[in-house]
Amino acid sequence: MSDIAIQAHKLVKQFPARADSGNDKKSEGEATSAKKRSFWPFGKRAPKSMFTAVNGVDLEIRRGEIFGLLGPNGAGKSTTIRMLCTLLEPTSGTAKVNGFDVVTQANQVRRNLGTVLAGERSIYWKLSGRENLQYFAALYHIPPTVAKKRVEELIERMEIKDRANELVEKYSTGMRQRIAIAKALLARPPILLLDEPTLGLDPQAARNLRELIAQLKQEGHTILLTTHYMEEADQLSDRIGIIDTGKVIALDTPEGLKRRIDQKEVIRLELTGWHDDLNDKLKSITGIESLTSHQKGEADLWEVNLQAQNSRHALPRIVESLSGNGTRLVNMNIVKPSLEDVFIHLTGKALRD
Amino acid sequence: MRSEPIVSAPLGRSTSLNEMRALAAVIRREWTIFIRYPSWIISLLIWPIIFPMGYILTARALSGVDGSGLTQFQINTGLTEYVGYMAVGTMIWMWQNVVLWNVGGALRNEQMRGTLESNWLSPTWRFAYLLGASVPQLISMLVMLLVSGLEYAFLFGVKFQGSLPLTLLVILVSIPAVYGLGFAFASLVITMKEANAFVFLVRGIVMVFCGVTYPLAIQPQWMQNVAAWLPQTYIIHAVRSAALSTEGFQGIAHDLQMLVLFGAFWLALGMAVFAWMERRARQTGAIGQY
Ligand SMILES: Nc1ncnc2c1ncn2[C@@H]1O[C@H](COP(=O)(O)OP(=O)(O)OP(=O)(O)O)[C@@H](O)[C@H]1O
Ligand SMILES: [Mg+2]
Repeated sequence: MSDIAIQAHKLVKQFPARADSGNDKKSEGEATSAKKRSFWPFGKRAPKSMFTAVNGVDLEIRRGEIFGLLGPNGAGKSTTIRMLCTLLEPTSGTAKVNGFDVVTQANQVRRNLGTVLAGERSIYWKLSGRENLQYFAALYHIPPTVAKKRVEELIERMEIKDRANELVEKYSTGMRQRIAIAKALLARPPILLLDEPTLGLDPQAARNLRELIAQLKQEGHTILLTTHYMEEADQLSDRIGIIDTGKVIALDTPEGLKRRIDQKEVIRLELTGWHDDLNDKLKSITGIESLTSHQKGEADLWEVNLQAQNSRHALPRIVESLSGNGTRLVNMNIVKPSLEDVFIHLTGKALRD
Repeated sequence: MRSEPIVSAPLGRSTSLNEMRALAAVIRREWTIFIRYPSWIISLLIWPIIFPMGYILTARALSGVDGSGLTQFQINTGLTEYVGYMAVGTMIWMWQNVVLWNVGGALRNEQMRGTLESNWLSPTWRFAYLLGASVPQLISMLVMLLVSGLEYAFLFGVKFQGSLPLTLLVILVSIPAVYGLGFAFASLVITMKEANAFVFLVRGIVMVFCGVTYPLAIQPQWMQNVAAWLPQTYIIHAVRSAALSTEGFQGIAHDLQMLVLFGAFWLALGMAVFAWMERRARQTGAIGQY
C-alpha cells in the first residue's frame, strides 16, 4: 500500500455561471429574464460562461495525517471535497483516494471514505439517532449482524446512548453533528473528509469535536478537514494547505508557514476615530507591507494590524499619521505573527470578513 | 470517549444481497417517516370522497335527480352506474396526480432537506433511492384506492358488478406506466427545479383527454387520437370495465396489452431520465443545491 492516502493532480472544477443558479449576487435584469423563461426549462439558455471554482489543485495527503484545507468563503474548499468524495466530477485533472480513481472507480472510493458535509442537515430529523445509523449502515453494505454491533459501539462512543431513540429534531446541534460523524465512521473507512466540522457549534462542543478528531487520527484515520478558523487548523493539522480563489497558494506545516514571515513583525494598534483616509496614509509608510482593520465589539474601537519589515523604523511615522482628525491611539503592540497573519501576507486580505 | 483499534479495511461489502438490504432500508426509512406525519390518515380517508364529489354532483344535476337523463350516458358508455363511473375516473386521475407530486418530489424533498447528498455518498445503487421511496407511496395509494372503493360501495351505494381480482390485475399492470412517469419527473426536478410547472400541464392533459369524467366517444376525433397515446386512457377504461361491468376479461384484454407496452416504455424512460440526471448532477453539483 502506498503511503499516499489522497492524491490530486491539477484538479479543476468549472461551473456554468448561470443567471438562475447559485446564491451569488446577480443583477436585476438577469434575474427577471430567467424568470420569464422558467415555464420552459428545456430551452437553450443564454450562452454559458464558465466560472472556475477550483483551479488546478495539487495535493498529496499522507496516510495517517490530518491535513487542513484553509481558506476564506468561496475559496473552493467544499468543491474540492465534493470532487474527492465523487459527488462532483472534475472538469479536468485527476484524483485518487486510497489508490482508487474518483471518476472511474467511484464506488471503491465511496467505500473507503467517510464524509461529513453540511453536518446536521445530512441526517434525517424525523428518524431517531439510532434509526439514522442503522439506515446508513445498510447503505454502506455492512452485513446486519456487524452493523448492529457497530451502531451500538458508535452510539456509546458519541455519548448519545440515553437519547439514541429520540428523534434527531429534538437534538442539539452538537449531538446532530456527532450523529453525522458517527455516520461517516460506520463502515470504518480509512479516510475521513470533514467539511467545516465545527461550524455552528458552541465553543465547548467545538472543543470536544476537535478532541475527537485528534483521537480518530490516533486510531489510524487519515483526515482531510476544511475550516476557516485559523486556530482550528493550527491546532489540529499536521500540514495545512491555504486555498484562495481555487488555488493552493501555500502548503506546509503550521510551523513552516509561520516561519515564512518570521522576519516580519505585526504591529497591532487599537484606536478610536478610525476613518478610511488613514488606510492609504498608513500603507504609504515605507516598510509597511499590508494592513487590515476591523471594528472591535465596542462602539468605535478599531483594531488595525500592520505587517512591517522593521517596526522600529516605521513606528514614529505611524504615530505621526494618527495624530489629529479625532483619531486617538488607545493601545499598541508588536506581536509574533499568527497563521492569520501568514494568510494576510499571502493574499492581502483577512480570512474572515 | 473510548478509543478504537487502528483502522484496516472498511466493513462494507457489495454483494447483491447487501444491495437488496440497502433497498429494503430505503423502503423502511421512507415508511417510518411517512407514518410520523399524521396527515396521511386524512389523505387516505377524506380525499377519495371530497375530490370526486364535485363531478358526481354535476353529473347528477345534468342527468336529473331521478336519473331520467341517463339514457344518453348509457348509450355512450354501456353503463348506468354514473357515480361509480365518475369515482373511478377521478380516482385514477388522482392516483397519477399524487404520484407526480410525491414520487416526483421524493428526491427533490431530500435535496432540500440536505439528505440527498449523504445518500449519494454511499456505494448503494442510486436508483434504489427512488425505487425505495416509491414503495411506501405505492402501498398508501393502493390502500387509498381500496378505501375509496369501500366508501363508494357503502356510503353511496355504488354497485361494483365487476370482479375485484380483475380490477386488482388492471391496477397492477398500470403501475409501471404510472410510476415511470413519476420517476422521470423525480429526476427532472433535481436538475431543473422549474420542471415542477409541468406537473400542472401533465395532469391537465390527463384530465381533458383521458376520459376522466366522460366517455371518449363524445370527443372530436383528433382528441381521441391523442387519448390513444396516453396510458391513463386505458387504465381508466379498464378499471371501469373490470369493476363496474360484467364483461369479464374480454372487456380489458386490449387495455392490458396496451398497458404492458406503455409500462415498458415509461419505466425505461423514467430510468433513462434518472441516469441522465445522475450524470448531469455530477457535472453541475445539482445534488447539493437547494
Ligand atoms: N454547484 C455549483 N454551481 C455553481 N457554482 C458553485 C457550485 N458550487 C460552488 N459554486 C461556487 O464555487 C465557489 C467555491 O465554492 P465552495 O463551496 O467550494 O467554497 P468554500 O471554500 O467551501 O467556501 P465556504 O467557506 O463558503 O464554504 C463559490 O463561488 C461558489 O459560489
Ligand atoms: Mg464550504
